[in-house]
Amino acid sequence: MDWSELLFYSVLVLYLIGSGGHICGILTRKERPRLVGGVVSGAGFALHGLSLALQLVHEPTVARGGFYLSLFSWSVLLILFILWARLRMSFLGLIATPLALVLLLASQAATSAPLAPLPLPPALPGLFFGLHIGTLFASLGLMAMACAAGIGYLKLERRIKSKEKLTGAWAALPSLDKLDSANRLAVTIGFPLYTLGLVSGFLWAGLTWKRYFSWDPKEVVAVLIWLLFAYLFHQRVALGWRGRKTAWLAIWVFGLSLASMFLINFFVKTHHSFT
Amino acid sequence: MQHDIHLFGLNHRTAGVEVRECFSLKDLEACEACVSELGRYVDEVMLLSTCNRVELLVVAPRGSNVSSRVLECWASASGRQAQELAPHIYEHRDLAAVEHMYLVASGLDSMVLGEPQILGQLKQAYKASVEKGQAKVVVNRLLHKAFSVAKRVRTETGIGASAVSISYAAVELAKRILGDMADKKAMLVGAGEMAELAATHLVGAGVRSLCVVNRTLARAEELASRFKGTAYSFTDLTTRLPEVDIVITSTGSPEPIIRARDVKDVLKKRKYRPMFFIDIAVPRDIDPDINSLDNIYLYDIDDLKEVVEENKAQRQMEAEKAREIVQAETDKFGQWLDSLDLQPTIVDLLSRGEELAHKELKKTLKRLGPDCADEVREAVEVLALKLSRKLYHAPLVFLKRRSREESSERFLDLARRMFNLDEDIVPPEAHLDRKNGEED
Repeated sequence: MDWSELLFYSVLVLYLIGSGGHICGILTRKERPRLVGGVVSGAGFALHGLSLALQLVHEPTVARGGFYLSLFSWSVLLILFILWARLRMSFLGLIATPLALVLLLASQAATSAPLAPLPLPPALPGLFFGLHIGTLFASLGLMAMACAAGIGYLKLERRIKSKEKLTGAWAALPSLDKLDSANRLAVTIGFPLYTLGLVSGFLWAGLTWKRYFSWDPKEVVAVLIWLLFAYLFHQRVALGWRGRKTAWLAIWVFGLSLASMFLINFFVKTHHSFT
Repeated sequence: MQHDIHLFGLNHRTAGVEVRECFSLKDLEACEACVSELGRYVDEVMLLSTCNRVELLVVAPRGSNVSSRVLECWASASGRQAQELAPHIYEHRDLAAVEHMYLVASGLDSMVLGEPQILGQLKQAYKASVEKGQAKVVVNRLLHKAFSVAKRVRTETGIGASAVSISYAAVELAKRILGDMADKKAMLVGAGEMAELAATHLVGAGVRSLCVVNRTLARAEELASRFKGTAYSFTDLTTRLPEVDIVITSTGSPEPIIRARDVKDVLKKRKYRPMFFIDIAVPRDIDPDINSLDNIYLYDIDDLKEVVEENKAQRQMEAEKAREIVQAETDKFGQWLDSLDLQPTIVDLLSRGEELAHKELKKTLKRLGPDCADEVREAVEVLALKLSRKLYHAPLVFLKRRSREESSERFLDLARRMFNLDEDIVPPEAHLDRKNGEED
């Protein structure tokens, strides 16, 4: 087993313990497992970042599909820690660490398949390429949180409206107002990032392939998601929508993005393919 | 054990309010008379007096019969006869008294199960007893343990987790919906007693402002001034609604005063910011249909009653767990009481010394390695054990000499604490408040 594999498995184990601790903490309403889960996830996160950096240093011009998924799972956690610091919503760890875990596992599956590596482009186009990946993943990380908060919001809202008991795990959820402010933060920051991601992608395509838009299935879906996202952004910021509707829209935006990432990148012929 | 622990008390179950008033010892002089009179006959005294209970904790030398004296002192301090008091009194002895103290401290003996105020009152009672020099070894330990038991009960069971009064339940719900109360405004429509109670809880939860709307403006102004709020006349109701986040209605109006279509307009004006309506009026003041609107939440009196009933049932279940904690802690206290004597303290001291010697011996022998000669091993072993015995020799002689004196348990307690024979976990900040108290 070489160092990268060793690193990978230690990250995996740390995430597993981290998410386990976190879920235990929320279910038993105890502070300590939650804290331990957070610290262990943090350690995994640091190690994960190190492993990504090492991979980049090791093979600077070559990046595989697995690398992107791993990077994505890392960005999800990055967003989680930022939100945690800003909104003090530790319950997001309930979804973030397991999500990062699944993505990381998927990244391993993608790496282990016999795939041809994709050469990274040089110089100026490289800048756009980095921007493209970075902003999109950050925005998707935000939407993952908005999606989790949205599910929490819808469930809690239904319970409050139907006047059911709010004990046990329900008591651990933050207030509706806080869940909604997670949505607001994710949408107001996530949408500009997403837009930036798309624009830099088109610019890069224009520079490399001399064609800005090539009717690639991924590009088409991305534009559709952008339209939905733009709708959500507009209704939220300009019309003051909040609550159920924005929660649902966030769930849709993230669901579609995830579907496009896994279905199109792996199974449809596209130049975004991870293979 | 050289002491008897007695606990005499009356509470809301054994005595009606007239009796409790009569024997409450609330009047400072009466209370002091009672306690200092008792202090002459017994070793330690502590008196807790609240509106629901009076508890008198007394530690007396073994075998002394203090019951009748306590009752007489108590009755005479209240200006009554002991016979009038006797039927309402319960008396607990030794571990039963310890258990009762623990139950009281954790709110398990309170009228509202698990209420936290009693703990603060008990802390004050203890402080008063310390200041008068009437709390010594047993009361000190018992009360410190009672506070930590109460804390354990609070953190390890969900006994105080949910609201058991209607107005408090409403405020808890408001927090679940609206989050932080500091930037929220509340409105009371109608100025009845329930509205007032809810207002107290809302202000306690930290709402930014409060306004009162009532048919008679004077009554609205009166209530508003009490909570530093503003008063509006009834015609302003709909114009003021968009500004507030929480609305509590309790008018006597025979038909709804807030209708779904009004609320729709209000919601648009406030850019869909959520609103929480609490309707505690019968017949209802608010059109129940508004609960189906997005970002509007409506609870009426029956909904809240249901929440409270469920929470009460929950508390009963949690109280069972709490009683187990109290039982276990009572047993521990019993062990400590038994050990507070010369013989067990000597045994504990010596065995603690031997334990340490063996522990260090093991480490040293390991370091000496397998090649070490047997004579050396034996010599080291003898050295370690002898040293431990010699070190404890002087304290033991001291304790033996002092044990013939009257207040010997003071020294025993000190020795036990100094050598940590009971393996108490004392947090580093444990005595901070004591130090601060002395500086005052």
